[in-house]
Amino acid sequence: MSNSKSDSPDLGVPQADIRTRKRRISIVWLVPLVALAIGGWLVYKALSEKGPTVTITFKSAEGLEAGKTKIKYKDVELGQVDSIVLSEDISHVIVKAEMVKGSKNYLSQNTRFWVVRARVAAGGVSGLSTLFSGAYIGLDPGKPGKTATHFEGLEVPPVVTTDLPGEHFVLRAASLGSLNVGAPVYFRRIEVGQVVGYQLDEDGQAVTVKVFVHDPHHTLVRKNTRFWNASGLDVAIGADGIRVDTESFVTLMIGGIAFDTPANMEPGEPAEANEVFDLHKNRESISEKTYAQKKKWLLHFDSGVRGLTAGAPVELQGIQMGQVLDVNLEFDVDKAAFSIPVLIEIEPDRVKTTGQLPEGAEGEKIMDYLVEKGMRAQLKTGSLITGQLLVAIDMHPEAPPAKINWEGRYPELPTVPTAMEELTASLTQLLNKFEKLPIEQIGGDLRDTVAGAKRLINSAELQDSVTALNQTLNQAQKFVAALNTSIEPELKTAVSNLNSALVQAQKLTKSLNSNVAPQLDRTLKALQEAARSIKILAAYLERNPEALIRGKGQSKRR
Amino acid sequence: MNGVFKTARKAGLISCHSCHLLCQSAKGSAQMRCPRCGDHLHDRKPNSIARTWALVLAAMIFYIPANVLPITIVISLGKAQSDTIMSGVIYFVQTGMWPIALVIFLASVFVPLLKLLILMFLLISVQRKSSWRQQDRTRLYRLTEIIGRWSMVDIFVVTILVALVHLGGLATIHAGPGAIFFGAVVVTTIFAAMSFDPRLIWDTEEVIHE
Repeated sequence: MSNSKSDSPDLGVPQADIRTRKRRISIVWLVPLVALAIGGWLVYKALSEKGPTVTITFKSAEGLEAGKTKIKYKDVELGQVDSIVLSEDISHVIVKAEMVKGSKNYLSQNTRFWVVRARVAAGGVSGLSTLFSGAYIGLDPGKPGKTATHFEGLEVPPVVTTDLPGEHFVLRAASLGSLNVGAPVYFRRIEVGQVVGYQLDEDGQAVTVKVFVHDPHHTLVRKNTRFWNASGLDVAIGADGIRVDTESFVTLMIGGIAFDTPANMEPGEPAEANEVFDLHKNRESISEKTYAQKKKWLLHFDSGVRGLTAGAPVELQGIQMGQVLDVNLEFDVDKAAFSIPVLIEIEPDRVKTTGQLPEGAEGEKIMDYLVEKGMRAQLKTGSLITGQLLVAIDMHPEAPPAKINWEGRYPELPTVPTAMEELTASLTQLLNKFEKLPIEQIGGDLRDTVAGAKRLINSAELQDSVTALNQTLNQAQKFVAALNTSIEPELKTAVSNLNSALVQAQKLTKSLNSNVAPQLDRTLKALQEAARSIKILAAYLERNPEALIRGKGQSKRR
Repeated sequence: MNGVFKTARKAGLISCHSCHLLCQSAKGSAQMRCPRCGDHLHDRKPNSIARTWALVLAAMIFYIPANVLPITIVISLGKAQSDTIMSGVIYFVQTGMWPIALVIFLASVFVPLLKLLILMFLLISVQRKSSWRQQDRTRLYRLTEIIGRWSMVDIFVVTILVALVHLGGLATIHAGPGAIFFGAVVVTTIFAAMSFDPRLIWDTEEVIHE
């Protein structure tokens, strides 16, 4: 515009009007300003919405897609998977996810992640919606704790999430039975909770089952509440016929747990969270009293324990006090003898003590005293048919004195031999005595005697004698007949005299009997002992003939 | 440089934009009005370089979110999938549909960028009063005008998809925020091309030859 000519030729066109206007900055610059503002706002928004990045490890990335899979809590998107890579040792996958802003507050070390997929289990079907929408990662914030950015993903979704009101309880069981995660927990056949997990003890001796009871039912769990395994069918055949019991159809398939507070008990204090309970085998067994205090004792038996198994009862006066835990076999090389240590478990609370214990009388002292008084363990036959043995603890005052050995890992209670064992021992003794009788000699003598008698009987003299006797008898008969008539009166007096004489003789015998017999008995016993000691001596001599010369020395050599 | 041409400005004449009345330009830098219809008179588009620069810069700024933000959000069976322009191109490349990928890339990424670069080149060369290959530069300007409208293809595709795919839970397509910015890029570049006065390319000649 600066080069407009001063002398423009007149071409017959009109002159342009002139209006003055101030030069301003063009309004068009607003456009890039607006663009900048929008761009800046977008950048700010992107930056401000950027949350923490977390890494989660999973066993497999099945269903997960980088840039698409979401992380959700209560179906609210909290993040998105950025990348999925294999770990260095290719044993698992590492999922990197970007969380939304503010999620840092609830990402703690207790936060759990798991992949929500469609799952079909006996207890139900879950995650059906993911069939169409694809898997997503579920999140459970967990209890507040240390902030973390690295997590280990769960393979199975947790049954109970943090936001669910209720309480966890811990059950201890000998075996898991047919329980599984998700198995229902019943109270009077109402489902009030679930099994949330189980774990084998480190030593493999028991199973810990974790259950969750929903609010408000968790207040029903008292300190003296009993839990039992309500899995499957409970069929009982009794005097009143067959009874079939089950908590619900579901427990038939996936097992379940029921609890109740026994009616004969006062409901105790409400149980605390994570309180430990015993998981009973079935409903019946909850009525059996359980005792928390258990003491282990060791018994040593020298004889065979065939028929004694772990679980056999330990009885005191016929009342069960505990059970056998373990039966072993030990060989003592020094003594060249076998012994059988039996580990038992006694529940001392089963004995109700009355009266006041004297001061300072503690458990050990009482036991020492009782053992001094003759308390011993003994094996007894529980059933003659099956030969099952049980351990009976009874008073045996006649038993040789013994003491409790408190030294070892378990205190050792002295034992006495089995009743059967005693019987056998005495029988053996008896048989031994019989064996010692010179039966052959007696037989020979007897035979000789009989032969002599036979000879005598068959001899001609005897025949003659018999005929002579016969004649004599005949004569005697005649004589007696004569006598009968003549002597009878005299005889009568004679008989009466004889009678009185006999009576006196009887008296004499009686007195003899009472005075002499015991003495004779003692003499015989002394004789017997003498015979036994001779036997022992003979045996000893047989083993140590040199003793004849050297005498019975105190040989310490073995 | 084909010699000196006579231009309206040299002759001191201005044609009205609205009624095309030819009038003598007034002296000085004062604001001129058409004596017949009263519209503004300019011998060149007013403030052309500054306006074009402003619009080009705005387009450049919009170009970033247009490519970073998702342009479509496909919700199919409850599964939302958002795609940016480049992710769409990559998707088509990966599925082996090279022609479609090429079309999208050319129309949506390459052409807008090309336009902006051409405009910037023209602006810089005009500001430097360069007389280098003026005919070719004019050709370049015409090219930006011609191809400019085609960059809207992407927006049309998105619009048609959003309108057509409304299958409820099965599939729904939403236009993403990237689409808006992409539209803004296209519109601002069209305005930038419009506000650029190609006569400025030739004005240098007058100065040189005077």
